[in-house]
Amino acid sequence: MSGNLPHRPPVLRKPVVRTRRGLGGALPALIIVSLFFVVPVVALLLRSVTEPTPGLQNYAILFGDGTYARVFFNTFLVASIVTAVTVMVAFPVAWTLAIMPPALGSIVFGIIILSMWTNLLTRTYAWMVLLQRTGVINRTLMDIGLISEPLPLINNLTGVTIGMVYIMLPFMILPLVGTLRAIDPMTLRAAALCGASPLDAFRRILLPLSLPGIAAGGLMVFVMSLGYFVTPTLLGGTSNMMLAGMIAQMIQSLLNWGLGSAAAFILLVVTMALYALQLRLVGTQRVTGGV
Amino acid sequence: MTEPFLSIRNLRKTFGSFVAVHDVTIDIPKGEFLTFLGPSGSGKSTTLYAIAGFQDPTSGDVLLEGRSLLSVPSHKRNIGMVFQRYTLFQHLTVAENVAFPLRVRRRPDAEVNRKVAEMLSLVRLEGFGGRYPGALSGGQQQRVALARALAYDPPILLMDEPLSALDKKLREEIQAEIRRIHRETGVTILYVTHDQDEALHLSDRIALFRDGRIAQIGTGEDLYLRPACEFVASFIGNSNFLPAEHLQTTDGAATIRLADGSIVSGVKATQEFGQGQKTRLMVRPEAFRLRPGPATAGLAVEFIDAAFFGERRRVVARTSAGQEIDVRPPSDMANDHDETAQQSGQVFFDPAAAFLFPALQTT
Repeated sequence: MSGNLPHRPPVLRKPVVRTRRGLGGALPALIIVSLFFVVPVVALLLRSVTEPTPGLQNYAILFGDGTYARVFFNTFLVASIVTAVTVMVAFPVAWTLAIMPPALGSIVFGIIILSMWTNLLTRTYAWMVLLQRTGVINRTLMDIGLISEPLPLINNLTGVTIGMVYIMLPFMILPLVGTLRAIDPMTLRAAALCGASPLDAFRRILLPLSLPGIAAGGLMVFVMSLGYFVTPTLLGGTSNMMLAGMIAQMIQSLLNWGLGSAAAFILLVVTMALYALQLRLVGTQRVTGGV
Repeated sequence: MTEPFLSIRNLRKTFGSFVAVHDVTIDIPKGEFLTFLGPSGSGKSTTLYAIAGFQDPTSGDVLLEGRSLLSVPSHKRNIGMVFQRYTLFQHLTVAENVAFPLRVRRRPDAEVNRKVAEMLSLVRLEGFGGRYPGALSGGQQQRVALARALAYDPPILLMDEPLSALDKKLREEIQAEIRRIHRETGVTILYVTHDQDEALHLSDRIALFRDGRIAQIGTGEDLYLRPACEFVASFIGNSNFLPAEHLQTTDGAATIRLADGSIVSGVKATQEFGQGQKTRLMVRPEAFRLRPGPATAGLAVEFIDAAFFGERRRVVARTSAGQEIDVRPPSDMANDHDETAQQSGQVFFDPAAAFLFPALQTT
C-alpha cells in the first residue's frame, strides 16, 4: 500500500501498434537528424578528446577540479529546486484548469501559451526590475512596513529559482492538465465517501493518479533547467554559476573549445541518461503522450 | 414515538431558478431497501446526493438516528456509495480498493486483510484481489465497488443507478447479487433507478419521484394495484385510459358512463368527483379478458392486431369511440378458442380492477 507505483495498472497503457515498413519513408527524417544532430554531436565529442591535445585530459580536469564539480553540483541543485517548486506551483493551477468550465479554461490556457510566446529575454529583464534591491517587490514590502531592509531576491539562488520557475511553469502545467482531465471527478467523491479526508484523497488518490503527468512535466522541466543559460546568467550570482554559463565562459572568454565541448558532452549524456531512466520507469506513452 | 432510522425532512434544492427538489419528506426504517424511482430530472439523484453530502440542500434536513447530517462533511458521514460509473481507484488493485476505506480509518493490518477477504467473498470475487480494475469486466468492477462501499460496515448504502452501464443479462445477475447481499448484511439501502422492473425486483418500498416531489411511496404492489395518481398508474406497468363521465360515487365505488354510452358501476374512485365531471378510467392491459366473468363489464371493440405470446395474448383493439387500446389477457389453457380471430367482439374487465382519475387539465 505504499504511495509509489510498483506495478502499472494495465488499463492506462495504450496498445502499442508496431508496423514494420521499409526505411524508404523515414529516409528524409534520417538525413535531417544525421546532418543536424548526429554530426554536430560527434564533432563535439571529437573536439573534447582532441583539443588541445588528443586524450581524456579535458574530462580529467572537469571531474578532478573542485571548482567545476561545484558548478555541476550547483546545476543539479538548481534544476532540482526549480523542478520541485514548479510541480508545487503548477499542480493547483493545473487542477483548477482541469475542473474549470471548458470555455473559461481555454482563455486561461491562452494566457499561459501567450506568456510562452513572449520573448524570453524580455520576461527575464522584467523579473530583474521586479526583484532588484530597489525593485517593485522590495519597495512595496518596505512601504507597507513588512521589512525594513530590502530582501536579497536577485543575483542568488532565490532569483534564479523565481525566474526559472516562471519560465518553466507552462511546460509542467500542460502535461499535468492532460493527466488530471482524464481523472473522473467522481473518483474523488467516492474517496470522500469512503472516509478519505481531503488530504488523504489527495495523497492516496489524486497524486498517484496524476503521477504520469508529473513525471512527464518534471522530466521536461528538469532537463530544460539543466542546460538553461539566459535566466540563471541574468538573475543568478557569480557564486552559483550553472553549467551552461560555464560552457559559454569557457568558449567565449577562455576560447577553450576542448574543455567546453567536454562539459557540453557530459550535459548531453546526463540528459539522455535521465530520459532513459524515465522511459524505464513510466513508459514511452506516458512521457510523450498525455499532453 | 421512536425516531426513524433515517429521515429526510422537507428537503428542497434549487439551482438558480430551477427547482430540482421541491419538498421531499421520507422516513426510512433500519434495514429497508428503498428505491427512488422516476424519470430523469425528477430529483431522485439530487436527493441521494444531499444524503451523501455532495450537494447542500437549499432547505430541509437529513437526520440519521435523530442527528442532522448536514453539517457533517462527506468523509465523516460513514455512508457507503456505489456510483453509476465505475469509480474504482485505477492505480490500486482490487484488494487495495476494498481496503482503502479501512486504511484511511487507520485500522490494523490484520483486520483490513480479514475484512477484504470477507468482502471479496461476499461479492464472489475471491482470487481477484491482485488484479487491477482495468482488467475486470464492467460487472466485476461494480461488484468491487460494492465490496469497497460495504467494507467499513456503513449503516447506509447509497446506489446511484449502479447497473445502468451494464447489459441486460449482467444487470439481472447483479440485481440478484444485490438482493442477496441486502439479505445477508441487513444494510439499509437507498437505490436510485429509472428502471421500474429493477425497482420492483429489488425494493421493499419504492418512492416514485416526479418533478422534484414524491408522487407516491409504497411497496411495488401499492404502486401497481393502488396508484395514487395517473402519473403513478402510467409509470408503473402499462395502462389504458378511457375517457368517461362520472355519475356518482358510493363508498369509493363509482358509476361512470364511457364514451360509447355504456354505464359501468363499481370502479375505484381515486378521489372525490362531482356529478358529470370529466374523468379518465384506467384499465391495465392485463386486466382485460376475452370472455365475460361473474361481474365484468364489457366493451365493444374491433380487433386490429393480435399475437400469441404463450403466457398471454397481445391484442390491439379499437373501441367504438375510435380509441386504440392495449389488451393482454392471460392465455386460457382450458379453452383454445381464439376470440380475436373475429373482426369485432367484446373485451371484458372487472370494474374493481379499474381506477377513475380526473381528466387531464387542459391549460
